[in-house]
Amino acid sequence: MKVTVLRERCVGQGMCVLYAPEAFVQSDEDGCAEARFRDVPKEQEDAVRRAADACPEQAIIVVE
Amino acid sequence: MTEGLGTKSNPIAFDHESPEHAANWQEEFRELRGKCPVAWTNRHGGYWLATSYDAVVEMARNPETFSSEKRFDPVAGTGTGGITIPFTPIPRGLPVEADPPEWNAMRGYINRRFAPKAVDGYRQDARIFATALLNRVIESGEMDLVNDFTGPVPAMVTMKLMGLPLSEWREFADPLHTMVFTPKEAPEYPDVVAAVDWIFRRCAEEFGRYKGLPEQDNLLSYFAHQPVEGRMLELDEVLSLSNNIIIGGVDTTTALTSHALEYLARHPGAKARLMNNPSLIPFAREEFLRVFTPIHCLARNIKQDATVAGRELSEGDRVMLAWAAANRDPAIFDKPDEVLFDRGSNRHLAFGSGIHRCIGSSFARMMFEEMIAQMFARIPEWEVDYAGARRYRSVGTINGWEAMPIRFPPGPKVACDLEI
Repeated sequence: MKVTVLRERCVGQGMCVLYAPEAFVQSDEDGCAEARFRDVPKEQEDAVRRAADACPEQAIIVVE
Repeated sequence: MTEGLGTKSNPIAFDHESPEHAANWQEEFRELRGKCPVAWTNRHGGYWLATSYDAVVEMARNPETFSSEKRFDPVAGTGTGGITIPFTPIPRGLPVEADPPEWNAMRGYINRRFAPKAVDGYRQDARIFATALLNRVIESGEMDLVNDFTGPVPAMVTMKLMGLPLSEWREFADPLHTMVFTPKEAPEYPDVVAAVDWIFRRCAEEFGRYKGLPEQDNLLSYFAHQPVEGRMLELDEVLSLSNNIIIGGVDTTTALTSHALEYLARHPGAKARLMNNPSLIPFAREEFLRVFTPIHCLARNIKQDATVAGRELSEGDRVMLAWAAANRDPAIFDKPDEVLFDRGSNRHLAFGSGIHRCIGSSFARMMFEEMIAQMFARIPEWEVDYAGARRYRSVGTINGWEAMPIRFPPGPKVACDLEI
């Protein structure tokens, strides 16, 4: 599974770090998020899926 | 969709500010969302109302067509645009009532001060304020939850952030709360406006004072010392930034936390679950944000003709985005009217959507956690005196509580660096 955050769509809602704190980090500048990795470790897959689903901007792209 | 209902020739009977809406908003939104998710009402000069999740996000994410820009002539007292309906004849908030590119400059100027890392720096302050405020009342076994606790904590954190003197917390907290629920036609309304004006006069005074001092770690001092795009801020911009931060930051978190504590008093099982599993509290917080959305709805101004949910919107029209309605859309949320702490994923819009996402969302989340933790640790049992509790008469601005007396077994004061 691969994950990426679309920078032009993310506005820093912060839901991803709630659902998958080990997969995403919010910037100290504007609160926008980045994925900590592109290839999702097996044990993070469920959390990453939930985070993508919970994003109000639908800014997280998951490729299974 | 019901054919024709909610067009300009067949408008709905709807007013987000009315007492009928305050009493019945879930049912009104449910019916409208099903029949006509974008609908025209003739109230307040006429506006579109968007109630489905998809329609609300479509417009919120398109600021080129759906503008937030406000223009106000302080001499004439008139203007256009902005995010309130009806138009509010006061200077605009910044950055919330600006469009790109001005929005980019103003939002970029303050973003870092509201990012999660910066907000962590205020957690200890929030904890001290919450501790000191409960020390004031805990031996008595009763307080007004709103006026003694959930109102003052966000007010004091906001004062600290701004660089305003904490000794003035009462003069600061009370009018910001009272302004939200006092009807504009009430005899006491001019006094409330004067008290709010005083807050902004104090911002102007402190801004002037910070200009003559070395830069300190607060926003008014930052405004006094740091340029935006190579120039210093004008005083009207300082006041517009202060307006956005203060009005946005205070009564909203108050409403959220009051609603949550009222709900938990009625649901002891849910409360016990959170007390036993503190890691659930952030998920409960997001669910309270969804179900008790503090900012019920905000407006946009239509810059070019557009079609949304089958309705033809015209340049010059205004539209109200009902976050509270979107947050209960059954197309997005299973059992939308139930409070479910372990909802699989919660895509709520309580902080808005698109570029104007609530800049203070990290502050709101942190202050909520600190207030809940303080209650759970020191006042684990409380009951609401419903004879004295009053909801806001209008939910059109903020959906909250005017007052909420509670009773609890008295407890001891604890050591605290701050006595108030």
